[in-house]
Amino acid sequence: MRVVKEPGAAHSGLSDWYWQRLSAVVLALLLPLPFFLLVAVYGGAVDQQGLLDILDHVVSRLLHTILILALIIHAYMGLKVILEDYVHTIAWRIPLIGAMLVMMATFGIWWLAMIWAWI
Amino acid sequence: MAEIIKLSVFRFDPEKDDKPFMQTYEVPLLKSGMKLLDALNYIKWEIDGTLTYRRSCGEGVCGSDGLNINGVNGLACITPIEGLKQPIHVRPLPSMHVIRDLVVDMDHFFDQYRQIKPWLQSESPMPEHERLQSPEDRERLDGSYECILCGCCTTSCPSWWWNGDRFLGPAALLQANRWIVDSRDEATGERLDQLEDAFRLYRCHQIMNCMEACPKELNPTAAIGHIRRKLLSRKS
Ligand code: SF4
Ligand code: SF4
Ligand code: FES
Repeated sequence: MRVVKEPGAAHSGLSDWYWQRLSAVVLALLLPLPFFLLVAVYGGAVDQQGLLDILDHVVSRLLHTILILALIIHAYMGLKVILEDYVHTIAWRIPLIGAMLVMMATFGIWWLAMIWAWI
Repeated sequence: MAEIIKLSVFRFDPEKDDKPFMQTYEVPLLKSGMKLLDALNYIKWEIDGTLTYRRSCGEGVCGSDGLNINGVNGLACITPIEGLKQPIHVRPLPSMHVIRDLVVDMDHFFDQYRQIKPWLQSESPMPEHERLQSPEDRERLDGSYECILCGCCTTSCPSWWWNGDRFLGPAALLQANRWIVDSRDEATGERLDQLEDAFRLYRCHQIMNCMEACPKELNPTAAIGHIRRKLLSRKS
């Protein structure tokens, strides 16, 4: 009998999958909200001051924060899976995933700074 | 004169040929309800004895004649000639290393099957007679035990094409689930441990090619979903 030389399971697949699904659910719930707002603005139901008031409200800021976190987690997980699918050389894969993580984190921090008016 | 069937068959003999090529054959329609395997047999026995392929039972039980037929994986022995567009393109299972003509190397496929430990694991002492199972528990094995390990599903899975070295593929995962749902097996925990991996299990992207390819009409995608739910409920 041939012995299978195989390193076994990494015990980490579930969390990737879990975060991807969870962030998808959050996105499905929250992503329509900005579009409603957009429609309301273009429809004339909300004027500029009204829009600013809505965006400034602490609840909107919290929802906005959750939305952007979910968006980044979802995009990161999705692109990670694609890189794992197609980039087979570990020496390429790990730096690429790392670079992507840095880019997304930077984008996320910048966006959060705008939401909470840090700068 | 009998009706003629046109076939275009993948040929490759690594000892003689530099490159694979498609060879055309014409075979008479021998009987109504004739299967593709009958045509291959006719070629081998009457026209060209060098054509090489695997087959044994001739009735969809042994799983040895999985082929790519007009672009779709299936068993030659139960695929009727009728309804196939001609010339019928017959190729080996996709993404597999060809040993000769339609014969592919299945070693890795069966290695992966062995990795899921496809046997009953139990700690409790051997009962005096057989290990009993209620009819309901037995019913939970329906849809899994029928698998004949033909490889049609696994070799049609794009995820397995890209990452077959690590992703176990639909056939092995269907069988992994078969042992997870078996009421007599007591190694569910270890089985789940061995599957929780971004590649071994989660490389399945639910493309469902496997389900469409399966000549036994089994549903590996659903089995993979069941394993995922098991893992999720264990952790949440
Ligand atoms: S459902 Fe999963 S296992 Fe089946 S073909 Fe698609 S990726 Fe492969
Ligand atoms: S699940 Fe179907 S296609 Fe896959 S190996 Fe088993 S019988 Fe063949
Ligand atoms: S010859 Fe046995 S399954 Fe086709």
